[in-house]
Amino acid sequence: MDQANTKVIKQRTVFSRLLSYLKRDQKRLIAAFALLIIATGTDLLGPIIIKIFIDDHLTPRSFEPSVMVLMAGGYIGIIVLSCLLNYVQLVLFQTAAMNIIQSMRIDVFSNVHDLGLRFFDRTPVGSLVSKITNDTEAIKDFYVSVLSAFVQNIVYLAGIFIAMFYLNVKLGLFCLVLLPVIGFIMVLYRKYSSQSFLHMREKLSELNAKLNESLQGMSIVQVFNQQRRLKKEFADVNKEHNEAWMKNIKYNGLLLRPAVDLVYVLAIMIVLSFFGIKSFSSPVEIGVIYAFVNYMDRFFEPVNMLMMRLSMFQQAIIAGSRVFELLDEDDQAPGTKGSSDPVITEGAIEFKNVTFSYDGKHPVLKNISFHARPGETVALVGHTGSGKSSITNLLMRFYELQQGEITIDSVPLSHYRNDELRSKMGLVLQDSFLFAGNIAHNISLFNTDITRERVKEASDFVQASEFIEKLPDGYDQEIGERGSTFSTGQRQLISFARTMAFEPKILILDEATANIDTQTEDAIQHALHKMRSGRTTIAIAHRLSTIQDADQILVLHKGEIVERGTHQELIQFGGLYFKMYTLQQKDKPTEEVS
Amino acid sequence: MQDLNVFWDLMWYFKQEKRRYLTGIALLSLVSLCLLVPPKIIGYTVDHIKNNSLTERQLGSYMLILAAVAVTVYILRFFWRVLIYGASIQLALLLRNRLYTHFTNMSPRFYQKRRVGDLMAHSTNDLQAIQQTAGDGVLTLVDSSMMGGFTLITMASTISWKLTLISLLPLPFMAWSTSRYGTMLHERFHKAQEAFSEMNDKVQESISGARVIKAFGQEEEDVDAFKALSKDVVQKNIAVAKVDALFDPTISLVVGASFFLAVSYGSFLVLNGELTIGQLVSFTSYLGLLIWPMLAFGWLFNIVERGRASYDRVTALLKVNDVISEKEDGIQKTPAGSVVVNLTSFSFEENGQKALQDIHFELNEGKTMGIVGKTGSGKTTLCRLLLREFEVEDNQIFLAGHDINDYRLHAVREAIGYVPQDHFLFSATVAENIAFGKYRASFQDIKQAAKDAAVYEDIVQFKNGFETVVGERGVTLSGGQKQRISIARALLTEPELLILDDSLSAVDARTEEDILKNLKRKRKDKTTIITAHRLSSVGHADLILVLDEGRMVQKGTHEELIAVPGWYRDTYERQALESLIAKGG
Repeated sequence: MDQANTKVIKQRTVFSRLLSYLKRDQKRLIAAFALLIIATGTDLLGPIIIKIFIDDHLTPRSFEPSVMVLMAGGYIGIIVLSCLLNYVQLVLFQTAAMNIIQSMRIDVFSNVHDLGLRFFDRTPVGSLVSKITNDTEAIKDFYVSVLSAFVQNIVYLAGIFIAMFYLNVKLGLFCLVLLPVIGFIMVLYRKYSSQSFLHMREKLSELNAKLNESLQGMSIVQVFNQQRRLKKEFADVNKEHNEAWMKNIKYNGLLLRPAVDLVYVLAIMIVLSFFGIKSFSSPVEIGVIYAFVNYMDRFFEPVNMLMMRLSMFQQAIIAGSRVFELLDEDDQAPGTKGSSDPVITEGAIEFKNVTFSYDGKHPVLKNISFHARPGETVALVGHTGSGKSSITNLLMRFYELQQGEITIDSVPLSHYRNDELRSKMGLVLQDSFLFAGNIAHNISLFNTDITRERVKEASDFVQASEFIEKLPDGYDQEIGERGSTFSTGQRQLISFARTMAFEPKILILDEATANIDTQTEDAIQHALHKMRSGRTTIAIAHRLSTIQDADQILVLHKGEIVERGTHQELIQFGGLYFKMYTLQQKDKPTEEVS
Repeated sequence: MQDLNVFWDLMWYFKQEKRRYLTGIALLSLVSLCLLVPPKIIGYTVDHIKNNSLTERQLGSYMLILAAVAVTVYILRFFWRVLIYGASIQLALLLRNRLYTHFTNMSPRFYQKRRVGDLMAHSTNDLQAIQQTAGDGVLTLVDSSMMGGFTLITMASTISWKLTLISLLPLPFMAWSTSRYGTMLHERFHKAQEAFSEMNDKVQESISGARVIKAFGQEEEDVDAFKALSKDVVQKNIAVAKVDALFDPTISLVVGASFFLAVSYGSFLVLNGELTIGQLVSFTSYLGLLIWPMLAFGWLFNIVERGRASYDRVTALLKVNDVISEKEDGIQKTPAGSVVVNLTSFSFEENGQKALQDIHFELNEGKTMGIVGKTGSGKTTLCRLLLREFEVEDNQIFLAGHDINDYRLHAVREAIGYVPQDHFLFSATVAENIAFGKYRASFQDIKQAAKDAAVYEDIVQFKNGFETVVGERGVTLSGGQKQRISIARALLTEPELLILDDSLSAVDARTEEDILKNLKRKRKDKTTIITAHRLSSVGHADLILVLDEGRMVQKGTHEELIAVPGWYRDTYERQALESLIAKGG
């Protein structure tokens, strides 16, 4: 019971939040609404003109040519005008709805970018993408189909009533009886039909989930000889789904179009009886009967439309609640403390007693302290899960520091602005992620300060220019399918060039584990060497051979630094590093160990 | 037009459900006839009022007729819906079950060639289109022909054929323009869809590349790029709306023109005495009745076009016959666990690359065999051949002294308990997952299997213990937990031959040891095959095969293999060092 209550309240807040978005394109909506009212008015004048024609001209048989031309012209004019106005009005409503959705999409997208990596860690990519695109698309239906249909049809119904009251107040009053009847049907429809529709959708997704799972696990099903049992289980769900569907068909049959048409005949009966009874005592204008019958013919299509859009409403609300949930997400990326706007000039890095945990329970780093002087290379080595990447994640301020302190040039990391950090620290990731677009774009990203010259210089520097310039379109070569046409090594070189184009003070390297052909491998090692010189470098190394010249090697195990020193010192020490080194010597040249 | 053939294709179903369809169509026709009554009554009433000849009795009887018609139509409508729509969803149910059965009969070869997403699309979108054809398709066909025909006949024969002809003049324009709009809409809609999927790709990229974008501080710029794309989506959608918004005004324009002609020419006829005013009023009402059949006609083509394409796809899918062949009189008895393999060669495709060649071994009942080798050396393929997931020629694999091809498929599968490399669990409780192959197993047995697979302690620590739901909608298990539940699932069936296909990779060394010890004790008299990367999993085996690129390069016991130089000894030494490092030196 309680749960149901909160659900209703939530629905209502989602609904009013969706409505508040209308302000985003207020002017257009007001214009559309004004046109809608005029268009409806003109449209409904038609039957009145015919009524005047029947009563004042056809019945008394007076056909003055000039009046006739005027009436015919007026009638045609009204039809054409209302069609034009309606067209403009429909386009305006739709445009406004589309603009609103666009601004909502941008809101969601920007908000997602403000979130910290912690959020990305716990949210699957697929569900995020679907919220930004598919769910907003479902909300589009709310504005385009539901809201505009409600406004238009309600205005139309109101217009019909006004016309009827104008023609005959008494009959207009009688016709008001129709409203509670229709309202009653709508309430019933919402209660039974919409409910059974939702129930059917639930069953459908259950059915599809079952099918999907069976397809994925079919070999298990077959190996364990369970085909017969699963067929029966599937048939059962299938049957339940069909029963729910049948129930929905029955409710629709009782409450939707057939019921509305029943009311239509009731309305016709009211009109005819009214004039019939009136005719016993006084003459009746035939034209008025015509006009009333005509209005009644037009009255029920909007009603049908309104009912059918009700179930769309429900779906939009569900999508809306998902989108707003994402909009309200405030697991923000770590921000800046103070307003001194320090600048990184030297690139000295220090970790003091840093302890860190992603989930607050299991620490991945314990009491890490080290110091990298400007221009030095510090290499991090260790088994998978030893905490190497966490150190670089903290240094890049992807995550908020929990215990201990990190300083750059003796200023706490948290005092730097994000821009400053990101422009002075160059990150080279393990998997070189390429974006859609050409090579130049992948090197400069969106930064317009980076000229084509700079792109070329950076590529030269890392010796990527050699292969890039051999491509048919050179730097303008499009990157197809996330760069799958390039070799792993070439992708690495492009991402090196990207890093160098941003001219970082500090370099953070997360070395690739993948096997690279020897030739490119040499180019990469050469490039890395050049990149490191003169920059403070924190390198995560998988191939110990590449970091033998590091000023300091930290060996991590389960989040702790267990050995530290230069290559020579560690080899002499004969500990974990020595074992790892021997292992890799053994494997050469085929395999590496992460 | 030839899309209408889909009704012929579906004839088998219409015949099977002829009672429902014929009654439904009869009711629909009756409804069409009944709907002709109210305009007539309106006309009569108007004429009587005009001539001042309406009596109370007459008015009363007219109203009674209207009420009777309304109630009849209501009832008939309810029933035709139940009959026709009921039959159409029954068809969806039937085809869905048929597809599912078909899926369960298909061999792994079938699934290698197809993506699950595509198969799902056939079972959802295509079935929906077929269901619409058998439901709304039939309705629109009957309605546009019956309702349209009856109304036209009534207008022409009981009121005036001249007036009918004149008033209908604008209607072909409606059919023409709506079909034109339809084509335009289709094109623009396609473009809008493309823009949408481009935007979708962008979002996908931004989110998977979030780390890079953040690292280079390019968040705002990325948002700008997104803005441009989402603006494009809006523009393309507005282009759609501009066509879409044409429909309603065009229909009103045509209907308005038609009304105008009816009233002006009708008045002329009234003046000539060929028509009464009442007849004119009912004529305009009939005109209103014609709008729906016109629209239904356009809709019909839309439905059958999709229905036909979908039906063709589904029938094509049902015709695929990727099954493992079985001998009619094959051996039904579950074979015992002795295995002889004399494989000269095996390839997935005919004349394709050889996946396995020259593999020979004998494994007696109750023995344990290990298969080791690099990734891609053919370990899994060999296991799957023993399961007969793929066809091999005769006289290559023998189970309990008989050719594997001489057994019925279910007999082979009953003999084998398989723990696959990619541990797949179903969205069900832990207990149901363990009992997957032996559904009526007692809870006692399930518990025992969990203990033997060294996963019992993990399970009882879950909040709901064995009743914990796993999979997408339940708790997330670690790779090691999934592996051990998969092992328990296979152990519970007490198979003659147990195959563990690299299924100890995600468990730690101590747990591995426990499991191996349990296996040794529980399966003293039964055969076991273990494939592994880690040699520690197979050290105890009676026989070890070393595979490389589909060939058997070494064969022997651990002691034999360790004594000679080769892949096995190299790997053994390397792994010893590795495990030392993993322990922290």
